[in-house]
Amino acid sequence: MICPRCDSNTAEKIVDAPKDKSWEVYLCSTCGFSWRSTEDEAITDPARYDKKFKLEPAVLDSLLAIPPVPPLKESVKKD
Amino acid sequence: MAYKDLREFLAKLEEQQQLVRVRDEVMPEPDLSAAGRAAPNIENGPAVFFEKIKGYHNPAVLNVHGSWANHALMLGMPKNTTIKEQFYELDKRWSKFPVKPRWVSCGPVKEIKIKENINLFEVLPLFRVNRYDGGFYISKALVISKDIDDYDNYRKQNVGTYRLQVKGKDLLGIQALPFHDIGIHLRKAEEINEPLPVAICIGNDPVLTFMASTPIEYDQSEYEFAGALREEPVELTKSETGNLDIPCAAEVVLEGYIIPRKRNVEGPFGEFPGSYSGARLQAEIKIHTITHRVNPIFENLYLGIPWTEIDYLMALNTSIPLYRQIKDSMPEVVAVNAMYTHGIGTIISTKSRFGGYGKAVAMRLLSTPHGMPYSKIVIVVDEYVDPFNLPQVMWALTTRVRPDKDVVLIPSAPGMPLDPTSEPPGMHTKLIIDATTPVAPDVICRETELLATPYKTDEWEKIIRRLLNEKGVSK
Repeated sequence: MICPRCDSNTAEKIVDAPKDKSWEVYLCSTCGFSWRSTEDEAITDPARYDKKFKLEPAVLDSLLAIPPVPPLKESVKKD
Repeated sequence: MAYKDLREFLAKLEEQQQLVRVRDEVMPEPDLSAAGRAAPNIENGPAVFFEKIKGYHNPAVLNVHGSWANHALMLGMPKNTTIKEQFYELDKRWSKFPVKPRWVSCGPVKEIKIKENINLFEVLPLFRVNRYDGGFYISKALVISKDIDDYDNYRKQNVGTYRLQVKGKDLLGIQALPFHDIGIHLRKAEEINEPLPVAICIGNDPVLTFMASTPIEYDQSEYEFAGALREEPVELTKSETGNLDIPCAAEVVLEGYIIPRKRNVEGPFGEFPGSYSGARLQAEIKIHTITHRVNPIFENLYLGIPWTEIDYLMALNTSIPLYRQIKDSMPEVVAVNAMYTHGIGTIISTKSRFGGYGKAVAMRLLSTPHGMPYSKIVIVVDEYVDPFNLPQVMWALTTRVRPDKDVVLIPSAPGMPLDPTSEPPGMHTKLIIDATTPVAPDVICRETELLATPYKTDEWEKIIRRLLNEKGVSK
């Protein structure tokens, strides 16, 4: 399934509604976006998702890391 | 006055007409976040309890701390207690720190244990908080972690509130900023490539939630502070794994670990400055165990453009530690109002010992652990100005500030990355406005005689409040 946010074809259903299967939740393994099938089309439809909040897969690796991964201690590097 | 758990507090709110029940079935989106936004728009807004949420088994409650009335009731005070009275009551109880917790063998939170096939959606009625959030968020949990260099020292154990994005049935993203206590724990674990055990406690005694968002010192225990504020020890039990201390009467506990040395896309999330944070690469938590009460209540929080629930939850509890840290070396300080966006805006009232003292007080704030990154705009007023009374503060700004002498900018200072004006994220310019009356050797303005408050005004305030209460008007 296409992710509404990053347009990758890497979204999959992760759960059904626990009580009555009245909705499903989908998750994109590329950008981590998740949504519920009952949300409105501005959230669930890639063509209608607000462009300001779209995420290009190409930029994901260059996002700011908070906190940055610290250097390994010397004693650990030797192990 | 202590409440033993969230349920007892909800009962108190209901008795005091500070909780409403929604009995009809609602949709997770947009109903929950819309109600979370609506409740604090109402004067003395109530908590909102949702009994039936489409597709889910369990109920949810929002806006539990979301009004000064609820805040007062949390402290066991009458619901019409003023903000300033709540400030001084908190300060009084703060002096009782530390009140050691009591460890008990088990608690209601262990009624149900899940160790296989973890599915957060089975237990929690998750929902999108703000429209363009990257996913569903747990926004009001206690996240408990320890210092791996001193693992048995429960004072270095941290109980904090951090945003948690649900990124799978058993996976969460977490925002752990470097200056947060959990950021220190995470750095130490990642330096030796070890997973950091965490327990995420949802639905708690309101004072515990309040303390989890209070900026206290690294080796001070949130549990000992909560004991002081509730005037009774907190009851703790042990997590199933990781030897963490958890409140024995929480509704739900998610246990897991932060995966070391890995970052993945998290966010955006509608944050407390009233704007979305950007998407960032942040750490992730693998959940392997859930314990919960029978029919657990999901307590979550809506946050948006102030004021929403979070603004009550990080208002006076930001003010008190800053007040005490400054007053420790500057006893002339009378009160600190750090209510605006977690102290990004702070107002301090103080007597002035000598010329320029107001600026010195502001600089002292900017060197405290919390004020250093968070506080951006600092206003200092005279001791007789109530910093919680904004018309009085505006009076001081308009009648005491000499713009050429009393307005100071400090560029390239530490900042709060979520403040959208910080550039780069994590740095900003500080603004100090000294609105105190100049004293010698400063050049004193034209002498003016202040108008005095009429004798017996305090007494008449109480009389008028009582008369309003008798008429059923809560003011």
